[in-house]
Amino acid sequence: MSETKGKILVVDDEKGLRIGTQRLLEDENFLVDTAENGEQGIRLGIASDYDIAIIDLKMPDVDGLEVLKQIKSIHPNTICFIATAYASYETAIESTRLGAYGYIPKPFTPDELIYQVEQGFRQRQLVVESELLKKEREENLIEIASEKSRLNTIIKAISDGVLVINRIGELVYFNTAALKYFDLDSLSIGDSALKHLPAPIVEIIKKIYSPDQSLQKTYSIQLELKSNNALFVESTCTPILQNDKSIAGVVVVIKNITEFKKIEQIKSQFVSMVAHELKTPMAAVQGFLNIILDDTISIPYDTQRDYLVRSVIRLKSLTDLVNDLLDISRMELKTKQREITEIKLDEIVHSVSQMLELELKKKGVTLITHFEEPMPTIKADANEINRVFTNLISNAIKYNKDKGKIDINISHSGSYVLIQISDSGIGMKTEEKNRLFQEFYRAKNEKTRGISGTGLGLSIVKKIVESYYGKIEVESEYGSGTTFKIHFPINTN
Amino acid sequence: MDLLVKKILLVDDDIDLLEQNKLILLSKGFQVVTGESGAEGWSLFQKEKPDACIVDLIMEQMDSGFVLTHRIKKTEHGKKIPVFILTSATYETGFKFSASTEEEKEWIKCDGILHKPVVVEELITKLENFTPKTN
Repeated sequence: MSETKGKILVVDDEKGLRIGTQRLLEDENFLVDTAENGEQGIRLGIASDYDIAIIDLKMPDVDGLEVLKQIKSIHPNTICFIATAYASYETAIESTRLGAYGYIPKPFTPDELIYQVEQGFRQRQLVVESELLKKEREENLIEIASEKSRLNTIIKAISDGVLVINRIGELVYFNTAALKYFDLDSLSIGDSALKHLPAPIVEIIKKIYSPDQSLQKTYSIQLELKSNNALFVESTCTPILQNDKSIAGVVVVIKNITEFKKIEQIKSQFVSMVAHELKTPMAAVQGFLNIILDDTISIPYDTQRDYLVRSVIRLKSLTDLVNDLLDISRMELKTKQREITEIKLDEIVHSVSQMLELELKKKGVTLITHFEEPMPTIKADANEINRVFTNLISNAIKYNKDKGKIDINISHSGSYVLIQISDSGIGMKTEEKNRLFQEFYRAKNEKTRGISGTGLGLSIVKKIVESYYGKIEVESEYGSGTTFKIHFPINTN
Repeated sequence: MDLLVKKILLVDDDIDLLEQNKLILLSKGFQVVTGESGAEGWSLFQKEKPDACIVDLIMEQMDSGFVLTHRIKKTEHGKKIPVFILTSATYETGFKFSASTEEEKEWIKCDGILHKPVVVEELITKLENFTPKTN
């Protein structure tokens, strides 16, 4: 048996006709339901979406036209036929008005019926298909609409400002971030964008619109929109090209680069400081050499020699400075290869004090150590820890009094090793203490005169200690000594 | 040399540069008094009443030189004499101190900037061209 073609409802109070029709249609592979009166017809016709309904006009309970009306109100696409022996022009018009597809006059021959039903069925298929297409189209439209709103939401949410300008300079799109950057309360689509945008951006847009095609490219500029580094933006203007290479408009993207600018400034300040610090010892060396070479200035041989010795000292400090700078740069770039090993701090202190023995002797400074037993070990790069102790102990010697002393105390403090390096030196003023770890800062007062240094030693110490998640503190009293305290984490694993 | 300037006060915390400049100025026939800090410079200025001052910019502080020249220029004697700032901090090294705003003009009272190392001829020209400000 071939598959069923469709579902048909036959509504007729005449049993014989009802059964006959059902059998005929079933033979044609339709699925047929029957109703023996108008009321049942309405119930069935509403309950499911029949392809076709054949409704008898005259029924004792409910009129066929009423049945037709009810079914159509729920299932407008059900193809309905009115069947009656009392055919009249008026009922024909009325039934068509109510949505009937056709009119089957009684009595009908099987061929007539089947012909009509086949016609109706084709119609039904067309209607269903067009319904389907319509629905699909509506769904597509909804999708497009939601795609558009999604894009809109995305562009509105991004923190960069976005503006789109058409070929005559009118604003066709913008987001709220753009308003914010240009400090505008409101803009409307269609406004002249060129009137509202900063002059440098307008210049670029005009350049893009110029007939010279070689100028039609993406441009970026940086603008200070609010002075004193309050707001720096980078504005990128990109032409929107049509297929024929003509310009449809320009997209302007505004990006906040204030933070980058601040970093750039810190960097250039650092470079300035470095340049200055490099120039000073060079100027001193150059000055000495100029004097020695100057025939108009006569100086005794011993003074000349003294100047050369002092030049060598200045050049040595220049070398130290360059080395410190390289260390800082390596630390900041993190390119330095670390060799993490277990380190015994007493051994480091011992080797550093040996290395600085000459300096200790020159100033007559005594070094006293207290190591808590058992001596805690830490895991770190030995060179870096060596550097920390070298810088701190050498400072403790340099800024000490003649015949002064240095105390080094290493003990446990919870999950940290506490390293304390105290000197009996000149101490620091509060203001000096606050700036101590700043790069290139060197305390300058009547007591520090003649002490050389790069101004980077403590800043390197701090960077190393903090890179191991440690902490460095300083306690000092002007005139009576300084103590550096380092809390260095003990690595348990 | 027909300069009115006889005695120059040099202030610099870099003792090498201080000595070099002193030597150069002495060789050109000037009298030189030297100080190694802003405070020392100030007391020497009051005591010695020099005919000109050359003050290093960065000493105890980044702006010690400006502080000292400001102080000198507030005195009756200071208004009559040339006071120069000496520095290796130049435009090329990224330091800018052109007195362009009113606030800066109010603040920076020196009569000119000299760059390290000192070129004596340049210094002498500046001393010759100096005319005291009337205000």
